[in-house]
Amino acid sequence: MLEAISDWLQSTWLSHAFISQGLWAWPMSESLHFMGLCLLVGSVGLIDLRMLGMARGISVAALHKLVPFGVGGYLVNVLTGSLFVIGDADQYIFNDAFRVKMLFMLIAGLNVLFFYSSAFQKTKLLGPDDSMPLNVKIMAGVSLTCWIVIISAGRLITFYRP
Amino acid sequence: MEALFIWIETSPLSLWVRGESGWHMAFPIIIVFHALGMGFLVGVALAINGRVLGLAPQVPLGKLRQFLPVAMLALVVNVISGILLLIGYPTKALTNPVFYIKLLCIALALWNLRWFSYSVLTNPIYDHGVLPQKTRQLATASIVLWASAIIAGRLLAYTYNNMMSI
Repeated sequence: MLEAISDWLQSTWLSHAFISQGLWAWPMSESLHFMGLCLLVGSVGLIDLRMLGMARGISVAALHKLVPFGVGGYLVNVLTGSLFVIGDADQYIFNDAFRVKMLFMLIAGLNVLFFYSSAFQKTKLLGPDDSMPLNVKIMAGVSLTCWIVIISAGRLITFYRP
Repeated sequence: MEALFIWIETSPLSLWVRGESGWHMAFPIIIVFHALGMGFLVGVALAINGRVLGLAPQVPLGKLRQFLPVAMLALVVNVISGILLLIGYPTKALTNPVFYIKLLCIALALWNLRWFSYSVLTNPIYDHGVLPQKTRQLATASIVLWASAIIAGRLLAYTYNNMMSI
């Protein structure tokens, strides 16, 4: 099943186009992937730190205006990440580091959905110097931990080639 | 120069970094720390520069100083992990012009961050409202420098002339 998906991805036009771009497409996509990562840490990561108690004097609502840029970084990374998987599918689909990364992306995604559906409306009403309730702190901790694991596992992919 | 590279590459620390003695995961774990440090250092810098350019205007600019310890810890992690990587592969880095471009971009970006930290973030008149054009241009320059450092860093894996001297 996975073998078939992997073979199919690598037989696509996009896969051939991306790989046969040769010298520049892959390294430049990797560079964009790193910049997207920095945008995510610099927005979502800093909001997580604020929720965990750092940087009093900034309200979550004010800092939350940075989130669209984090989402932009995330979309850049979904796009470039998809190119890597399509371009060299069997190096990712059978790679343990990639699987750990995907698992934590899923946990981070569920955590985001849970946060916005359960706590965000109350959190954005809190003032610049307010401490966050425990459930918000836990979700921020889960988020920050997930992103650290995602970056780490992502960087380890190249060392776990099947 | 080659004698110096050979001396470094045959040292016990260099062998340890390359995973040729002791722990075979040393090199991957050092790389992981280098990537995490990048994320937090550049992330904090981007947030400050973005705020200077007018994003998230309700955030009092000076209050972003509280994230600087995170950036400084990340910088320490990256200086240490970077030096270890350099000890592991001195020929690979030091014979590649791209490595010096990366270091130059980082030096200028850090100088820029330092100027923002001491001259802009400490001044309460900048906490709200639009910043002077020159300040905004320096924030744009900082973003370009960090992006260039990242591109140069990533290209090191593709552009080296010689891997080792031994």
